[in-house]
Order: sequence, then C-alpha cells, then structure tokens
Amino acid sequence: MNLRQNESLAARLTRMNLLVSGAVLLIAALAFFSYDLLSFQQILIRNIEAEAQIVGANSISAVMFNDQESATTTLRSLEQSPDVQGAVLTSSDGTVFARLGTLDQGDISAHVLGAHENDRAWPSGTQVVVAHRVMFQGKTVGIVTISARLREIGHRARQYLLIAFLILLFCMAAALAISSTSRRLIAEPIIGLADTALTVSREKDYSVRAEIPADGSEIGVLVDAFNTMLTQIQERDAALGEARAELEARVEERTAELRTANRELEAFSYTVAHDLRGPLDAITGIAFLLAQSWDSTDELKAHVMLNQLTTSTGNMSSLIDNLLNFARASTTPLKLAPVNLSSIARQIAAELAASDPTRKVEFMIKDTPETPADEGLMRIVLDNLLRNSWKYSSHHEHACIEFSAKRDANKLVYFVRDDGAGFDPGRMGQLFEPFHRLHGKSDFPGTGIGLATVQRIIARQGGAIWAEGAVEKGATFYFTLG
Amino acid sequence: MLAIPAVVLMMTAQVAREAHAQAPGPSLVDVQAVYLFDFAKFVRWPEADHGALTICVAGPKVYTDTLTRLVKGEQINSRPLAVRAVQTPEDEADCAIVFIENAAKDHTDGLLAATAGKPVLTVSDIPGFLDHGGMIQFLVIDKRVRFSVDLRPAVHSGIGLSSELLKVAVNVSGKDASGGGR
Repeated sequence: MNLRQNESLAARLTRMNLLVSGAVLLIAALAFFSYDLLSFQQILIRNIEAEAQIVGANSISAVMFNDQESATTTLRSLEQSPDVQGAVLTSSDGTVFARLGTLDQGDISAHVLGAHENDRAWPSGTQVVVAHRVMFQGKTVGIVTISARLREIGHRARQYLLIAFLILLFCMAAALAISSTSRRLIAEPIIGLADTALTVSREKDYSVRAEIPADGSEIGVLVDAFNTMLTQIQERDAALGEARAELEARVEERTAELRTANRELEAFSYTVAHDLRGPLDAITGIAFLLAQSWDSTDELKAHVMLNQLTTSTGNMSSLIDNLLNFARASTTPLKLAPVNLSSIARQIAAELAASDPTRKVEFMIKDTPETPADEGLMRIVLDNLLRNSWKYSSHHEHACIEFSAKRDANKLVYFVRDDGAGFDPGRMGQLFEPFHRLHGKSDFPGTGIGLATVQRIIARQGGAIWAEGAVEKGATFYFTLG
Repeated sequence: MLAIPAVVLMMTAQVAREAHAQAPGPSLVDVQAVYLFDFAKFVRWPEADHGALTICVAGPKVYTDTLTRLVKGEQINSRPLAVRAVQTPEDEADCAIVFIENAAKDHTDGLLAATAGKPVLTVSDIPGFLDHGGMIQFLVIDKRVRFSVDLRPAVHSGIGLSSELLKVAVNVSGKDASGGGR
C-alpha cells in the first residue's frame, strides 16, 4: 500500500512536470517558429520583389521600343532563380508583353496592383505572387508579375519540426530528472508523513515521529504540527493512565480500610459479646448463690454478695457507656464552639478526687486558651485521658497528674501527663487499637476501648494524637485540634 | 504577337488615350513621334543645359503637329520640351534632336553637315541614313517600327546613348568608337 501511494504521488508530480514543461515548450516553439517563418517568408518575398524590380528596370526600353525579344530575354534571367515558377511582363494597359514559365491570365487578373500601389505580394502558404510597377520618368511603363514557390519555407519548417521534436525530447528527459528532485523535496516528506500516520493508526504507537524536512516549507509545518499532535496525544494518554492508576490505588486503599474496619467490627462484636458475658456470669452466679443460701446465710454474707452484684452491674454499665461513647465518637454530628479544655479537666479531676478520697494525687491543671471544638466529645477525650492517668497511677502512693498545652511549630499541643505505670514504647502501635490492652486486667481494670474512642474523636476534628512513655516512668498523651 | 498599335498604347496613359481616340489606330507618324520623344529619355547631352529640349523636324507638318501634341506639358530631366520645324541647316542652332523625314531627303547631307560635331541627336527614316553620318535610323520590320544605331557620329559629337537604348536596337554599328558595347 505504501509503495503504491509512493508511486502514485511521485508519478503525479512527474506527469505534472512533463505536462507543464511540454506545454510551455510547445507554445514557445510555436511562437518562435511562427515568427521566424513569417520573417523568413518576408525575406524571401523581398528577394522576389527585388528580382521583379531588376527585371522591370531592365525591361523599360524593351517595352518602350516594342522589343518583345529583348523583354523575353530579360525575363529569362529569372530562370536562374530556383523558386520562380513563372513571370509576366504586362504593359500598362494590361496586355501581356512577355511571359516566362507557367503563369496564366487568371493568375495575373487575380493579382492586380491598386492605382497607387507600386509593389505588392500575395503570399499563400509556400506560394507567393509578387507584382511590381515599372516606372520610368515618372510614368508607368508596365507591371512585372512573378509567381514563386517558397521552397525554403517548407524546408525550414521541416527543420524546425525536427529541432522542436529534439528539444521536446531533451526537455522531457530534463523534466524526468527534475521530477526526481521534486519527489525528494515534496513527495518523500508527505509519504513519510503518511507512513507515520499509518503506523500510528494501525499500531496505536504514539511515540513515533515523522521526519521534518529541512527546507522549512509548508510540508515541514504540516509534519511539525502532526508531531505536536502526537506529543499531545501521548501526554493525554499518560495523564489518563496516571489518573486511572491513582484511582485504582485509592480503590485498593479504600478496600483495605474497609477490610480493616470489617475486621475491627468483628473483633469488636466478639469482645463486646465476651466482655458483656463476664459481669453477666458474675451476676447470674451471685444471684443463684443468694437465692440458694437465702435462709441459711447470715445477713453479712448476703450484704457482701449484694455488693458484688452491684459492682458487676456497675462494670457492665460502664462497659455499655464506653461502647456508646465509642459509637458516638464516630457518628455524632460535630458541633464546633469555643471550648475551655482546662475547666473541663478541672471538673473531671474533682470527680476523680471525690471518687476515692484515700488516694494522694496531685492535679496540676494549667489554663489553656479557648479553642473551637465539640464540647461533648472533648469531655469524653479528657475524661478518658485523665481517668487513665488516675487508674495507671493507682499503684503509686503519690501521684501527679498534669494537664497543659505548649506551642510547637506554631501549633497548640495539649497534653496529659502522669507519673504512673507508663507503657512499653515498643508496643506503641497497639496503644490506640480498640480492645488491645497493654496491661493485664487484673492489674488495671478497663475495657480497652477508651484510647480508641479518644483517637477517633481527635481525628474527626482534624487533629492528631500520640504518646510518650516508658514502663514505670509514667506516660504523656499529646493531642492537637484542627 | 503584338501589333504596332499595342506598342503605342503602352507608352503613356496620355498617348494611349490619344491612340484610342484615333481610329482605326496610330499611324506610322504617331509611332515615330513617340519614339522620338522616348529617345530623348535615353540620351545624355554633354552640357548641363537647363533650357528647353527642342526637337526639330525637317519634314511634313503632320510630324510637327503630332510631336507638339505629344510633348505638351512634358519634361525630361526637368527640361521642358519644345518642337519646331526646320527647313535649312541654319535653323538648327538650338536643336537637341533633329528628325529628317523622307520628304526632306534632299537636304540630308546639308542638315547633317550643319550638326556634325555638335551635340545634336540625328534621327531619320531615310534608308542608308547611317551611311551618310546619321545616328539613328527608323526601320520597319514585320510591320513594327524598329531602329538601328551608329555610335560613331554620336561619340564624335559628345552624345551619350544609353545601353538600354542600344539593347533594343536592331543593329548597332561603331561600337568600338564608343569603347563599350556588348
């Protein structure tokens, strides 16, 4: 297909070259030869006219003194001229005085000089009839009429035909040679462009480029524009590919998140079921024992059992509260308003201190600037953090719990610090996962859901939370908001 | 073949018109008159004379009349033409051409003697005129008027005769004298 196109375009150029040069040459040769033949004819006619004049001048006395022999002799001198076919010397009244060769009366009467004409030629093709008025002493003596065949014209025309034919041949050869140049200049860049376009459409390969011809012609512009178009298509393809890859990555990420969430939900359901079952078993057992030994048991024993019963239901209630908080942390709509975190912390500290007056805990709560946040959720956050500090410092005789804020990189960082049991920094990653507890249940009671809840709330408000700590060296929880 | 009238007809339009007017055709006199007139066109006189070119006729009056009619208003080499009859050699003083008709045959020698050595063209139709020292003699051959020329007296008198004229002459004698000829 390429080859055929190639040939067709090049052949068309060649044909055009041949046609144009041939036409130009033909017209030029025609014009030149016509002009030349015409002027050559004029020269030949003038020669004949000159002969007529000589013959006329030599015949003057012969006509005047009625000497036909002399006139005929004079006319016969025209026989030397190969073109002359016939000649007639006519007297001034139109009668033939002397004649030579073939020129009849019809020829003479068809070629008559006007009243004031002295010379005239009647050319027709290669034939010509020339008439000359012979004058002597201001009077017409007679008229010489010569009929001649301009053989030289025909000869020359044939020569010209041959020359024109040879030149035409030569020019055709030259045009063929030139067309190979024009093919290189015009056809080949276009063919290259066509090939590139074919490759692109067939193989969908947008990285190929057509070669730009160096002559800076419109073809170069065309090829350049085509290449630019290919580049743009390539760039668009790349952008499209990137977008798709990004989309896929995001889908994968979302899928992984969903999977994690699902796993968390499963674990959560399992833990909830398991953890709710503990206090319930205790309640059932104590209620059974109480019912069985209602009569035999003394009042004191029953009192203890009832206390245990109350503790179990309390545990269960607090577990359910925590679960509710955890759920609310994710679902409650945010109500942002300026909140004074220090005053909330003080209230919680007061509650904690009141819950166990036997403990010696020093609360250091500093004033912090108001910040836009959801007050209900922030109360859950501070309650969890302070209650954790309270809880994990319970094994120490003296404890100090601190709430404050500091500027770090133009951002307000709040923190809750205690000098309690601390945690193993190596297990930092599990700290905020729901139901993962770094301490045994027997050491410190808890549901394992508090920090997970806190992290969700902070994250929802656009903040971050992290912790520092070491075993028996206390723990510090930092968080930011917005 | 052309007849004599045709020769006359072709001379000039004017002559042709006159010839047509004269039925049945131009006479010998007419032809000879025309020839006399035409001879003047082929003769070169030695002196650049700008006066009238006079043709003198020794003969019947009809010649004089015919010639007078013929040359009326004509010029040759810017010279007006005149015609005059002569009777005696003494009359020939200003003649450029002297025509001696057969009728004046007896005066031939006298007339010729008077012009001998002078630039005067002598013409006659008298047989043997050239033997008497004349320059041009009319002949009639095949009913056509022709003429013979003797160059000797012409050369002697300093008159030049055109080769065109000699070309159509029946006979030209004394070519050696002119130093030219065919």
